[in-house]
Amino acid sequence: MPKIHALSSVLADQIAAGEVVERPASVVKELVENSIDAKSSEIDITIQESGLQSIQVIDNGIGIEHDDVKNAFKRHATSKITDREDLFQVRSLGFRGEALPSIASVADVDIKTSTGGEGTNLHIKGGKLTDEEPSEARRGTDITVKDLFFNTPARLKYMKSPSTELSKITDIVYRLAIGHPKISFSLIHNRRELLRTSGRGDVQQVIGAIYGIQCVRKMIPFKGQNDDFKISGYVSLPELTRASRNYISVILNGRAINNQAISQAILHGYGSKLMVGRYPIAVINIHADPLLIDANVHPTKQDVRISKETELSNLISDNIYQVLSKQNLIPDALHRNHAVKPRYNNISQLNMNLNQVSDHYSRKTSSSDYHNDSSSVQLNSDQAIANDTNLKQSPISENYHLPKTVIIHSKSDLKQPDLNRFQSYFQNEHDVLPFDNEKSNQQNELNHNHANQSGRFPDLNYVGQIRNTYLIAEGSDGMYILDQHAAQERVNYEYYRQQIGQVSNDEQKLLVPIILDYSAADTFKINDRMEILNSVGINLEPFGKNSFIVRQHPTWFASGQEEDTIKEMIDWVLTRGKISVADFRAKTAIMMSCKRAIKAHQHLDSRQARSLIQHLKTCEDPFNCPHGRPVLVHFTTNDLQRMFKRIQDPHHSNSY
Amino acid sequence: MKFSIKRTAFVNSLNIVSRAISSKTTIPILTGLKIVATKDGLILTGSNADISIETRIKASNADNKLAIASTGSIVLPARFFSSIVKKLPQDTMTLDVTDNFQTRITSGSSSFDINGLDPTNYPHLPEIDSDDSITLSGDIFKEIIQQTVIAVSDQESRPILNGVHFVLSDNQLVAVATDSHRLSQRKVKIDDSDKSFDFIIPGDSLVELSRMIKEHQDIQMRISENQVLFTLDETSFYSRLLEGNYPDTSRLIPTTSSTTLQFEAPVLLSAIERASLLSHESRNNVVKFTLKPSQKIATISGNSPDVGKVEENLQPDSMDGEDLTISYNPDYMKDALRSFGKTMINISFTSPLRPFTLVPTEEKENFVQLITPVRTF
Ligand SMILES: Nc1ncnc2c1ncn2[C@@H]1O[C@H](COP(=O)(O)OP(=O)(O)OP(=O)(O)O)[C@@H](O)[C@H]1O
Ligand SMILES: [Mg+2]
Repeated sequence: MPKIHALSSVLADQIAAGEVVERPASVVKELVENSIDAKSSEIDITIQESGLQSIQVIDNGIGIEHDDVKNAFKRHATSKITDREDLFQVRSLGFRGEALPSIASVADVDIKTSTGGEGTNLHIKGGKLTDEEPSEARRGTDITVKDLFFNTPARLKYMKSPSTELSKITDIVYRLAIGHPKISFSLIHNRRELLRTSGRGDVQQVIGAIYGIQCVRKMIPFKGQNDDFKISGYVSLPELTRASRNYISVILNGRAINNQAISQAILHGYGSKLMVGRYPIAVINIHADPLLIDANVHPTKQDVRISKETELSNLISDNIYQVLSKQNLIPDALHRNHAVKPRYNNISQLNMNLNQVSDHYSRKTSSSDYHNDSSSVQLNSDQAIANDTNLKQSPISENYHLPKTVIIHSKSDLKQPDLNRFQSYFQNEHDVLPFDNEKSNQQNELNHNHANQSGRFPDLNYVGQIRNTYLIAEGSDGMYILDQHAAQERVNYEYYRQQIGQVSNDEQKLLVPIILDYSAADTFKINDRMEILNSVGINLEPFGKNSFIVRQHPTWFASGQEEDTIKEMIDWVLTRGKISVADFRAKTAIMMSCKRAIKAHQHLDSRQARSLIQHLKTCEDPFNCPHGRPVLVHFTTNDLQRMFKRIQDPHHSNSY
Repeated sequence: MKFSIKRTAFVNSLNIVSRAISSKTTIPILTGLKIVATKDGLILTGSNADISIETRIKASNADNKLAIASTGSIVLPARFFSSIVKKLPQDTMTLDVTDNFQTRITSGSSSFDINGLDPTNYPHLPEIDSDDSITLSGDIFKEIIQQTVIAVSDQESRPILNGVHFVLSDNQLVAVATDSHRLSQRKVKIDDSDKSFDFIIPGDSLVELSRMIKEHQDIQMRISENQVLFTLDETSFYSRLLEGNYPDTSRLIPTTSSTTLQFEAPVLLSAIERASLLSHESRNNVVKFTLKPSQKIATISGNSPDVGKVEENLQPDSMDGEDLTISYNPDYMKDALRSFGKTMINISFTSPLRPFTLVPTEEKENFVQLITPVRTF
């Protein structure tokens, strides 16, 4: 047998790299996190070929002292924590001291760094120092990673398509930008700018830069706190959804994390407002005492353990629920992304819509460039937008003939004619934030919404029924179309949802008791939450070490499902930390509401139709049926007038 | 294979085996009906995961007008085949299997060709090698089934309670079922039987079986490790047995009582039916007895806050013991009372939270229905 010996440090680094550096996006993440930890206010990321060719991150942070630079590339060398106690209250994003050595062991790294005085330039390839020389005195760090995985071909093989790798990079940069609105980020791929944030601390601006102004308009802010957590963020209106959960960004103390419970909590905040299989766009920043957070779960630091996770989840759900319930959620028939796409939406209609947004785009050159280039890699997050609004042809930006992107690589670039035009265009604008303009528009819109909120649901005057399915009504601000089945389903649901919770406390005795077994961890939690369970009529007596005995159950249980119902209720309490009979039985309520609602293709006389609309108005959540489909859509008076060319959009003459 | 037969005789047998054929199965061939023609007659078979039924039509019985032209076998899609046979125009029909399992059914001037399936793919019926058979009176066995299946559980999580537990020993057959809210137990004497068995038959199988038992018909029962076979004249009925240990129910039935009531079962049944009119399935299905034997007062009441209340004074044939108030699920009481038919019964209570029993005033020992109460707040 070979003798046991310590691995060479390069080999050990490579093994560590296997966990820390999975793909180009991991390099970007580690480098950008280092720049954030270095208190930078500006971080510029430049990528070639999805990061497989090169990744460059330039920051204006504190830099590294000359004597320390080599140490930064030693394993478990960090300036961020010193003793054991620190590990339990990490305030920085990095703390393991293994990112740089890991990256350097599988790539070619060039670092220039300075704390203000003369700088240091190191060149390390495959873990070996090849060059060392002084460098310029610009404070900050400039690190370039080339030829990633050149010496670990097996790893290279695992790379997905360039577009997938790029989308992972944009994904992490987006999240970090959302978590750090005070830092100005730029992300450039193959000379194309994919993101630029202002660094003025405005999360809304960051979201706009990422998802587009269309989305920002449909996202509403929320905020909340309890003794341990402070949360803030933006959630999309239920009409703006995506087919996957990827558009939910969770940032905890500046760290982009993956956490099932928190995503779930965000979804719970929507109650029954989301359509099955659709997910919102959501951004949430969470601030917590570092003592409550353990990020040392996995080398990538993206999984964290959170003490009081249940309380945090409840805080999130409750806050989101509250802001959403204040909104008038009637989708605008002409401006809807999903489900309602009017047939008559011909080109000129579209243009009218585009004109409304295009003046924002005219100043957002970066984004419009991105949208202009249909051959560019489709980014995960923006895909849906790029596809379903025709912003690609944003007419205004062409009118202004703005350069697509201006990237300065060297001094000679500064003489580019494009740049001059770019500068002259922005010179006058400079003190006006590109976003201020949008913001004021948005504010108007929000104010408009607020105005609606007093009478959140409009007073509707019934006009008639079409196809024995839809009801037409008139409001002070235009025309509404209601789906009669969805409307009654909603009315019924609100009734049954409440009814179904008002069960008797009576308990049916059992002749043969039910015995339930749980894991030790669950047993502990169940004992802890016994009172919650008792409050809904579940009485568990300890029976042996990890088992419980049930001798009676609430009388409302469906026959034949007693044991399953008890188990489901316990699971519910285990995952959510709370339960009410009404919530637990919401599915049953949905079923009853659907069964007992009038169907489509059923004639309603005007008395019935009016009574339905009257009932709908009293609903807590009148805008969608319990399955999440819309109950009514709205055509504003303006929409109607524009459709018949009675008014012209102010920008109309500008484009076509 | 080719035969002709009197259509009504064929339809009778077809109806019998159809009980075992379901259109939902993971083995497609089991949606079919198997027909075997031998010199002696026809054998029809239907089967599903729980039960299999085989029935014979004898050529020797002239009433069947059965003529076997050539022997053989075939599997035919049961649903189509039986609706065809039922609608054929003449009293007799002919079935002829040609190449590739093509089957021609003719009657008068009507003729159908349907695609059959290869009978060699049809699963074999369970083999029951035991020769020990127990002969039971069909009438009594049917009664046992009707009295016990009401308490069979439909809880999937406790499959053992989905059957009736039979114990045969010392010349006595005891049948018990419980869904853990109530229990039914019936005992009968079995003459000249020195055998002892302990087995559980699925409630659904028993329901199917009881529908097949004709008046005054004797049945033979044979048990193997995991199957039971009932033979009723020309028909064999197989059912799987449930595996596992049935909970010990003997100690669950109280032997003492503090309050008793006597009623004609149908009289109490109609009072319960009235009292439960307002009880609410999905929220609280409960009625209450208030018994004061000293004052000769017995009332039944029901209350459903969103609908209303009901109260009725009962006239028991006799009432003894201590005062008591007890609530219970009226559905259990209704099922139990129906199982007594028109007999006089005794109801015995011990306490508001203990199960109570219903027994016939005659032959008290042999039949008991037990119901657990509801604890009210
Ligand atoms: N951009 C930067 N600006 C200033 N200092 C930096 C920068 N990048 C790295 N460093 C220094 O180099 C050290 C090592 O960085 P490295 O990323 O390897 O470890 P870490 O950030 O401490 O922990 P982790 O492995 O969790 O990221 C850091 O502790 C920090 O002192
Ligand atoms: Mg780091």
